[in-house]
Amino acid sequence: MGILSKKIWRYIVRNLGQFLAAAAVVMGGILVYVSMSSAYYNLGEARADFYRENHFSDYYFQFVKAPDGVIKQIEGVDGVKQVSGRIQRDLPVIKDNNERATARIVSYNLPMADDLNKITIVQGRLFEEIKSSGLTEVVLDPKYLQANNLGWGDEITVIVEGKEVFFTVVGSAIGPEFIYTMKDNADILPDPQKFGIFMVEKHQAQQLLNMPDQINQILIAFDPEADQTAVVNTIKEILKPYGLLASYPRSDQLSDAMLEAELDQLRAVTTVLPLIFLAIAAAIQFVILRRMIKTQRPQIGLMKGTGYHNYQIMIHYLYYAVAVSMAGALAGILLGIRLAFYFTDLYATYFNLPVYLKGFNVQAVISGLVMCLVIGCIAGLTASVGVIKIQPAQAMRPEPPAIGGKSLLEYWPWLWKRLTAGWKMTMRNINRNRGRFAVTLLGIIFSVALLVISFFVYDAVDYMMQKFFYEGQTYDISVRFGSLIAEKEILTINHVEGVQKVEPFLELPVRIHCGNRSEDELLLAYGPDLTMKKLEDDSGQPILIPDNGILLNERTARKLNVKQGEQVEIETLLPTGPVHWEAVVIAGQVRQMVGSGSYIDLQQANRLLQERNLISGAMIKVDPGTSSQVEMEINGMLGVASVLSHQKEIANFKSYLGTMNFSIAIMVLFAAALGFAIVYNASVMNLAERDREIGCMRVIGFSVKEVSGLLAKENIVHSILGVALGLPFGRYLAQAYMQSITTDLYTLPVIIYPRTYFLAAFGTILFIFLAHKFSVRGVKKLDLAEALKSPE
Amino acid sequence: MERKVLMRLDRVTKTYDMGEIKVEALKETSLDIFDGEMLVILGPSGSGKSTLLNIMGGMDSPTSGLVIFGDKNITAGGEDVLTQYRRNQVGFVFQFYNLIPDLTARENVELASELVKNPLPIDDILKEVGLNERMDHFPSQMSGGEQQRISIARAVIKNPRLLLCDEPTGALDYETGKLILALLKKINQETGCTVILITHNIAIGAMGDRVARMRSGHIVEITENLNPISPEGIEW
Repeated sequence: MGILSKKIWRYIVRNLGQFLAAAAVVMGGILVYVSMSSAYYNLGEARADFYRENHFSDYYFQFVKAPDGVIKQIEGVDGVKQVSGRIQRDLPVIKDNNERATARIVSYNLPMADDLNKITIVQGRLFEEIKSSGLTEVVLDPKYLQANNLGWGDEITVIVEGKEVFFTVVGSAIGPEFIYTMKDNADILPDPQKFGIFMVEKHQAQQLLNMPDQINQILIAFDPEADQTAVVNTIKEILKPYGLLASYPRSDQLSDAMLEAELDQLRAVTTVLPLIFLAIAAAIQFVILRRMIKTQRPQIGLMKGTGYHNYQIMIHYLYYAVAVSMAGALAGILLGIRLAFYFTDLYATYFNLPVYLKGFNVQAVISGLVMCLVIGCIAGLTASVGVIKIQPAQAMRPEPPAIGGKSLLEYWPWLWKRLTAGWKMTMRNINRNRGRFAVTLLGIIFSVALLVISFFVYDAVDYMMQKFFYEGQTYDISVRFGSLIAEKEILTINHVEGVQKVEPFLELPVRIHCGNRSEDELLLAYGPDLTMKKLEDDSGQPILIPDNGILLNERTARKLNVKQGEQVEIETLLPTGPVHWEAVVIAGQVRQMVGSGSYIDLQQANRLLQERNLISGAMIKVDPGTSSQVEMEINGMLGVASVLSHQKEIANFKSYLGTMNFSIAIMVLFAAALGFAIVYNASVMNLAERDREIGCMRVIGFSVKEVSGLLAKENIVHSILGVALGLPFGRYLAQAYMQSITTDLYTLPVIIYPRTYFLAAFGTILFIFLAHKFSVRGVKKLDLAEALKSPE
Repeated sequence: MERKVLMRLDRVTKTYDMGEIKVEALKETSLDIFDGEMLVILGPSGSGKSTLLNIMGGMDSPTSGLVIFGDKNITAGGEDVLTQYRRNQVGFVFQFYNLIPDLTARENVELASELVKNPLPIDDILKEVGLNERMDHFPSQMSGGEQQRISIARAVIKNPRLLLCDEPTGALDYETGKLILALLKKINQETGCTVILITHNIAIGAMGDRVARMRSGHIVEITENLNPISPEGIEW
């Protein structure tokens, strides 16, 4: 070790607290970077690999039914690389406890070879085609299997056109389109108890669903050079006679869209958060080095006098910044890798992804290390440039005393006169060390903002739950039927003991056209005396469904670029029966945080279908305590496809919130660590520079407490300004964050409760107080005689 | 006439632990300080005079022995007692002034006056040290002599019973040094405040009521000065 390295090393050991505090901020940045970007990279890679290996299709076409032969026809379309035809249909499942669930039956060819959207077995084996017996083998998605405690050989009862059909479970599998298994975008979260993917052999599916040699879904992959719009239009033409219901690209496929949203969110966090930390870390290193160079002026003069080059001395100080960066980076990488594994596990519970979802990402580790090194070098070099200007002869003489200057407040004599000497000292000290004050303040502002964002997540979720579950829908049970039924049939539900009130609804898939734009949408039709569902218009005011006209979903209206009072064409897309077209006036817009759907009166919906009094489900209000009893009774009724209990929906939602706590705890910890480190650092520097002043005050008769109180004044200014600026900044960041992650599927409101502001402010004051307490330990230890002996 | 003892040092020893070796800076030193006197302590560097002053001023505690101020043992009771003692009884004047750079002359004096219940009127004191016109200047804008005057003003504003001066002229030129000494003498005579002046400058001894000489941690001699001369008459 060279002499200069020894010198810097001893400096680090002597000022270990400061070194560690600076390194901790670097660590925070790298920890977030390594863990989050590993998660981002792994998730993205796993998705890309999975999509490629399992040939995820580029486009979906859904229609009523068509003969198998249509596949050949589409294969002939120019620009189509590959085609798969299959059956996909949702059917009600009757579970052992008589509860209902929804099975999404999806058919596959045997052998599967390189078919589009092929599946990968996780456990058990693939289904086989059993021609003789009435048994059908099924492979389930792992989440449904797990949530319903199913095992190999178990039988599942599914209702097909009123008849019970039995499936035998032989394995579990994942597919590129079922990574995130949510039934439809009206749901908030997956509910594996209530919804599962049932993968079966194609011929058996055709037989089972009474669709011999027929399919209702086409998947295609484009040729790389294909004109995709032209290809899609050609295929639409081909499928038109078969009742084309929907066609959408991969990016609109629910699982892909959800995964993409998650990746977007990760990307936002991965870029912004580490940058904040590293920028602050660089600023701290800069401030520390500047001060070190200032206090070591005579030493620098001596080194120069002895014959050291400027660059040698600069490198010497650069070492410090690099040491801080490297120490922080190493600790950050180690902890980041640990955290990356946690995130990976977390994603494994959310998503159906292949087992090769890796822990950490070497590339993230290397780029984290490089990033730290670069930032350390930049901070070190910019701070040590001052070395060049130092003249050896001048530098070896002690520096002239610090120049006291007027603070800004002095131009406000009314206030200035009322300040005590201690406050005057504080204000002038801040004025003299403006740069350091600004860096510290910036750090505090960021930690306040981070705290606001962390706690804000709770507020947003709480608000959403309140709006969605408690205010938006007040039913206890919601029932859906396998097919459209006459309204009078729900009278039987009315007679079930415990039922207070029943309100029918009709869910009608449609395509809304406006000019040359069109959007697929679910129309939700309710009767005029609707009480169990509350709607809000685009300004948040309650709105009722009009007798005539449609309340268009805000997001759909935006996509169609239509406003209230304009007219749209509605095309009904029921999988059975003819397609109808009708023009409808937009009576208003509804705002929904989660899920899509536009609203229309029940009578009008029936008119669209040219029917009378048809419904597809009902909302039920029951006497307190009778919910599960009523649910069981309804489960046993004929034609019931699914029964949702409001309580269970809330419970499912809450179970997902548990995983949120850990992430929030980490964020809070980061915010506190950042704030603590930066305040501690500033306080320690302050103390070191002012030891003479402090000694002097102690000798005059100020107690340790009074002197600490004086040093606290600067931190009080920091706290007040930091909180005052950090709270609105936090709100701004929350807004920006929400905007960056809002998707077609959900909009999170920027609702921040006063409690959050209070907690953020209180948390900040707490860590500033702790950092202050830690740093002023030096006041007690100060040797008075020693501090006052040296000349200024 | 029986003189009243303000402070009594009884067999005070101070040992500094310097790692491997121990340095005895004060060895069983006893000394009575009389109320209202001007005591000059003389000695070469390393003789223990600064250690003695630190202990008398409550900036340091003795390793053994007693320090009685009035009727109170200030060595028993720890940090709080020492802080109260420094605050209410003692004023310090240092060789290098030790003013707070962020406070103006007036504010430096105010800093001390805020500490005690009955400080002397600040304008009178600034006038007394001859600086009432430069009271809004910062230390960095003042000469050494001016800074030392502020430091004296800061010490006496609390109306202390004991004024401890550690080489107060050590950093000043001859003329300014004499003016500072004259100011200290005037304070001693007009307020009756006990002044202890530590210096290695033998000539200054002539202005004290008593002179104590130190060598190697001992007081080797105390002489009474029946006719102390005024600072203006001192030559060095």
